[in-house]
Amino acid sequence: MAHKSDPKRPAEIYEPYEEQAGVPLPVIWIAIALAFWGVLMLYDTGDSVRVSLNDRAEDSEALANVTPDEGASLFEANCATCHQPDGEGLRDAVPPLAGSEVVAAGPGIIARILLRGIDGPLTVADATYDGHMPSFASALSDAEIARLASYVTTRWANGPDGAASSADDVTDLRGEVADLGSFAGGMELARLIPSLPPQPPMPAPSAAPRDDADVLQLVFAGRDEVWSCASCHGDLGQGDETTPRLAGLPAAYITKQLHDFREGTRVNESMHLVASGLTKGEMTALGTYFATLRVPSNAGAVLSGDLARGEELALQGDWSIGVPACFTCHGASGFGVAPGFPGLAAQHAPYTAAQLANWAGGERHNDPLGLMAEISGALSTQDRRAVADYLATRPPVPAVAATMTRMETDDDQ
Amino acid sequence: MPITLGLMLALSFVVSLAALAFLIWAISNRQITVDQGDAETIFADGEQGRIDNQGTEAGDAERRHVFDPVAAGIDAVSARPVIILLGTATVWLVLGSIFGLVASMKLHLPDWLNQSAPLTFGRMRTLHLNLVIYGWLSLSGLASVMWIIPRIFHVPLKSPRLVLIGAVLWNIAVALGGLAIASGWTDGEEWLEIPWQIDMLLAAAGACFIAPLVRTARARDVHHIYVSGWYFLAAILWFPVLFIVANIPGLYSGVEEATVNWWFAHNVLGLWLTPLGVGTAYYLIPKIIGRPIYSYAVSLLGFWGLALFYSQVGIHHLIGGPVPTWVVTLSVVHSVMMFLPVIAVAINQHVTVAQNLWALKESVPLRFISFGALMYTMASFQGSIEALRSVNSITHFTHYTVAHAHLGAYAFVSIVMFGAAYYILPRATGRAFPWPGLLKAHFWLVTIGFAVYFFSLTIGGVLQGLAMLDATRPFSESVELMKPYLEARSIGGSLMTLGHLVFAVNLLGLAFYAPRHTQAPVAAE
Repeated sequence: MAHKSDPKRPAEIYEPYEEQAGVPLPVIWIAIALAFWGVLMLYDTGDSVRVSLNDRAEDSEALANVTPDEGASLFEANCATCHQPDGEGLRDAVPPLAGSEVVAAGPGIIARILLRGIDGPLTVADATYDGHMPSFASALSDAEIARLASYVTTRWANGPDGAASSADDVTDLRGEVADLGSFAGGMELARLIPSLPPQPPMPAPSAAPRDDADVLQLVFAGRDEVWSCASCHGDLGQGDETTPRLAGLPAAYITKQLHDFREGTRVNESMHLVASGLTKGEMTALGTYFATLRVPSNAGAVLSGDLARGEELALQGDWSIGVPACFTCHGASGFGVAPGFPGLAAQHAPYTAAQLANWAGGERHNDPLGLMAEISGALSTQDRRAVADYLATRPPVPAVAATMTRMETDDDQ
Repeated sequence: MPITLGLMLALSFVVSLAALAFLIWAISNRQITVDQGDAETIFADGEQGRIDNQGTEAGDAERRHVFDPVAAGIDAVSARPVIILLGTATVWLVLGSIFGLVASMKLHLPDWLNQSAPLTFGRMRTLHLNLVIYGWLSLSGLASVMWIIPRIFHVPLKSPRLVLIGAVLWNIAVALGGLAIASGWTDGEEWLEIPWQIDMLLAAAGACFIAPLVRTARARDVHHIYVSGWYFLAAILWFPVLFIVANIPGLYSGVEEATVNWWFAHNVLGLWLTPLGVGTAYYLIPKIIGRPIYSYAVSLLGFWGLALFYSQVGIHHLIGGPVPTWVVTLSVVHSVMMFLPVIAVAINQHVTVAQNLWALKESVPLRFISFGALMYTMASFQGSIEALRSVNSITHFTHYTVAHAHLGAYAFVSIVMFGAAYYILPRATGRAFPWPGLLKAHFWLVTIGFAVYFFSLTIGGVLQGLAMLDATRPFSESVELMKPYLEARSIGGSLMTLGHLVFAVNLLGLAFYAPRHTQAPVAAE
């Protein structure tokens, strides 16, 4: 009220209004600049939509009709590591394709073997091998299996009409063999290929600890604080997302992880609780149990990683950042090397990527030589995703005798 | 050039920009002619014959910009509805800020007050949000509209009794909505939690506010609608459309539901609370200072820019979600285009204040309002930058977003409404605030409290976002590092809540301890 006399103070009846000044020039320039930027952004987003649509179209086209050359590159990527680029195999270890009676039987048989894998002794070209071939059912599409089967038959079989295998045939085959598991060595193959030479007998299944009622109790029912393994890792130890696949990992590796979880040298609240309730004997028994499980892969590339980069890291490594090939230590095809190096093939990509991140950040540090911290730390986030995705697409550790038929087969992918 | 989605988008964007430019050019050109015609007729009338006491060079121009709303019997009609709207809004403000403070404390004291379901974080935070948006901000904004619209249209508020009925219904609906949320009955979407059955009551109450305002606007006795009027009239037509479309039950599901949800949630800020705040500032800043707004053409740019660009802004919240990329890009572009209308409003409002800094010392309401207007500029600039993918992917799912939301809804709209209440209430009641010092205390409590709140959450939010994006750091680290910042937020929030209690005390003081004026009411201290 004291301010009533202030000369500046407006009268109560003053009414606001706007003056007639134009829009200042800088505002107009800003408006024009923003408009240009906006138009570019919008035009560009349409372009990215078009690019991704084209990519998708190309992908599906590529799946639909694979060119002959791709048979060769598929062979190189998936088969040549063991069967060798010239198809001669490795003496006493991997059967040859060249001159093989099995290959001579035609693309249908090759496709079946690719889908099911082989587990058991077989005699090929006068030599006997202890066969361990993984199933490629989860790793390759129908078109790819058809192309690969055709390629192998055309190149190494002596029949000229060997190349007749189409993606549709493989689709039918896939349904037919879905529940059969691996071929039980040459004995079972001989039933399909009468021209095979006499085949060695299958050895009797070893007395696996899976018959141990106590272990089965732990796996499927749990006990007090130890909830059942199957409740998270699946009935067949196949895992999902960030819960790892356990089937086929080295027994000693699994046992060590359980031990580390209990000691806290590997950090995970749930597993700490579970492992704290287990005896040493039980840990060993569980390790052996999961090591002998063989199930098809249910993993896939779900992290949108760059698969080509992943393949490069897994097979060659990247020495520019000091990263050795994964398979140098984790075994050919990432099947693992007992006792210390777990299999990586068919492991779930989210789990692998999360573990790599944990190594890099120091959250996980329970490897013997501290190798993984250094390697993971050198990888970028994109690299971690790429290699995790690539490994997830690989076929799982080859199957042994399908004695687990009492359990349901896991759904494929 | 092949026809792509991007080309179509870019072309329609160009066309709409051209239309906007043409519209502004056309309106401002026509207005100049009309104004010149007006000037002559008004001079002939001699208006009220009362000459302002400012001997400036613009004296001639200002002579015709006088109008006495008291003498015209306008304030007397608006007073009752406005007092009731502001009074009830203050109740919701106090309740809402207490709930907000409780929710804030729970983030660093997770075991506190967890004995019963209504006291848990999920319900406390939701109560806070809904009470301050629908209770405090909407009601106080409407009070300001009810006060200013009749004044700038030179005609008393039509159907004031309907407004009173609306106020009662709206308060009942907010109370029922609060009870529903506390008991766990919600629609399950952020900003739309109040069950749709109760929303119908809110809509009915809203109609009781809108009809009188539209009737008042139609009966206006002015040639030119002042800029505040555009914002207010647009807001009371935009909001019902938003509210009803977003609340229709069972119409959307999945991704569509999320899209509509964020279209609504962001538009409540931009097309409802923003026009209420900007319109109020547009009226009260020149009113208190006694100087005109800088440019009519610029205010056109500000208003029509908001109308064109804002409605698409909300979808940037769905970054990384399963919506088409181009929808998010469109939203990002529109968010950045918001620079234009915001710069326009900033020029018009801040220039006027900056040239008359003496008024800030003298008028506490102006202090609130121009601080709030400044925060509108800040919040909008920050929002435009935040919408860019490179920034949004770090800050979006963190407390940074919470700080930004409070910069807009609190530091801008709430604080403008505090100023408006302090300006309007003495004139509506014919009394002066009994304890002027408490008005200043209120100002410093809420501004300091807000600064603590904003800076702690902004810094903490960026750190939190960086931690969450780094896969090599465990998630728990991103939670733990926030603790000191969350504690600072509670301190800031306590100061703000204390400020609100002071605000309530000021209003009570005005009601029960203030001496009645013998003469015309004077500007509040």
